[in-house]
Amino acid sequence: MPTLIKARAATEERIGLSTWQKVKKYRAFYVMFLPLLICLVVFSYLPMVGVLYAFTDYTPFKDPSFVGLANFKKLFSQAGFWQAFFNTLQISTLKLIFSMACSILLALMLDEIRCKWFKKLSQTILYIPHFMSWVVVASIFTMFLSPKNGLINGVIELFGGTPIYFLADENWWRPVFYVISCWKEIGWGTIIYMAALSTVDMEQHEAAIIDGATRLQRVIHLTLPSISGTIVTVFILNLAKVLNLFDPVWVLQNAMVINVSDVLETYVYRMGISGSQYGLSTAAGLFKSVISVVLVTVANKLSKKITGEEVL
Amino acid sequence: MGLNSKERFSFAKGYRGRTLFLMFDFALLGALMCMMVLPLIKVLVDSVDPTSYGVRLIPRVVDFSAYEMIVRNSTLYQPFLVSIYTTVVGTIFGLLVTTMGAYVLIQKDMPGHRLMGKLVLATMLFNGGLIPTYLTIKNLGLMNNMLAVIVPCSVGAYNTILMKSFFASIPGELFDSAAIDGCSPFGAFWRIMLPLSKPALASVGLFIAVGLWNEYMHFILYITDPEWQSFQVKVRSLILEDGLSGTSITLSQEMLKSATVVVVVVPFLLIYPFVQKYFTKGVTLGAVKG
Repeated sequence: MPTLIKARAATEERIGLSTWQKVKKYRAFYVMFLPLLICLVVFSYLPMVGVLYAFTDYTPFKDPSFVGLANFKKLFSQAGFWQAFFNTLQISTLKLIFSMACSILLALMLDEIRCKWFKKLSQTILYIPHFMSWVVVASIFTMFLSPKNGLINGVIELFGGTPIYFLADENWWRPVFYVISCWKEIGWGTIIYMAALSTVDMEQHEAAIIDGATRLQRVIHLTLPSISGTIVTVFILNLAKVLNLFDPVWVLQNAMVINVSDVLETYVYRMGISGSQYGLSTAAGLFKSVISVVLVTVANKLSKKITGEEVL
Repeated sequence: MGLNSKERFSFAKGYRGRTLFLMFDFALLGALMCMMVLPLIKVLVDSVDPTSYGVRLIPRVVDFSAYEMIVRNSTLYQPFLVSIYTTVVGTIFGLLVTTMGAYVLIQKDMPGHRLMGKLVLATMLFNGGLIPTYLTIKNLGLMNNMLAVIVPCSVGAYNTILMKSFFASIPGELFDSAAIDGCSPFGAFWRIMLPLSKPALASVGLFIAVGLWNEYMHFILYITDPEWQSFQVKVRSLILEDGLSGTSITLSQEMLKSATVVVVVVPFLLIYPFVQKYFTKGVTLGAVKG
């Protein structure tokens, strides 16, 4: 059979199908691509055109009319916007660094375990929280941290302390948010590093042992550099979605902590969906999208410079 | 491996540091595992024990009245059915559209396949944002249409690229010979590609299913009809509001809240041990540059 295929390919090459003939030959494939294309056009490309609403005055009672940069001017004069902006920067940066560092560390720790069943059990359990929705996680922790009958405050009271309303306290909300995000994603984040760690070159390690390197030295000088490519890749992929904070923040925030917890996405939601200020909220959302694209592009270029490879 | 020659549980000189480290490592992982399951156990206990508040992890009494309530009260089980419906329909739909698209993208000789690949990839980087997407859906008259939830949650660039990188690893000669034997492109896709890609289908399908089951944002954005609210939205509103509207209940509100959380998590936990490997495979497959 292969000779037949080769012969056929050779014939095709000799005759040289024109583009049009090729299109005809592949017509069934274009039809198969159509459903995906329609989905992407409706849910991704049409909304991209909708970004133009940022330059219009648009509410449910008023058809869009072009107003230039007026929305941005109005936005920049609002204290709530800047607060959401700086909160977004801080929360997303710390969340990213914190959870990545924890996952790498945990992966290294897991990698040291030689006891197979224990390793498997740890991985199985550590992955579980990833599969729970933010609604469920928030529900669990709202009850867990509740000042009325939560477990944590129960322990605090047991030792004679006064209960803390963690999720409604401006000083506590962010640390608690980081801890909960970490709780949810730390285990799942290790999978990719574990896969990279399993490809570490053992010969180098053996050579290092002969040279008298300690285990810690080997981890720092051999293991970490060998997974650095993976770390950069994960970093860039995470960077692309680092500003997507809607679900976690929305389900954990409340009116008491709006000052420390409001991020651009929740701000846009309240202004656009609850407040129906379509033009203004599109402008705020556009601001977020632009930062996101800039972040990823810069990180991608940096990655090319450092590792010589583009991730995207 | 010569590497593990020093692995021995002993406090003798030369082994001491390693042994202490391993003890610390085991303790740390053990503590982390406890931290992961503790909140879950607490919820489970709270859902069956009306007196179990504060510091208690073993139920004093076991009382299933909260679960009975969920089964009997239609405002509670209706959202559960909606969630199941969305997950099942969405997963099938998503898998079909994604795999067909991915199959087309690996046709190296097809005019325009590069452009099509770029069209898919671009949606991963750029998006219109919350409000423009909402307005598009609204203007297309898709409000309260389950498509507005199912499509964006089940069809995505990431999964398409993941499938594509898996398909690309299957030898193309198979399809050439099938074509010579008179197999249509769709037939080759359906009868050759899909059966060969079962592991990848399982991975992507499970990711889509979990995503749909957990979906919250698209429901609160596009579905205003209470008949079609998902269980996630129901759980959320129960946690927020104290008191279940329209029903006179004597049982403790905390119990009901905990029970709904258990009900939403348990279906997944039941299948999880059997499908865990597909999830891990999916992640490592995704790391391969598509």
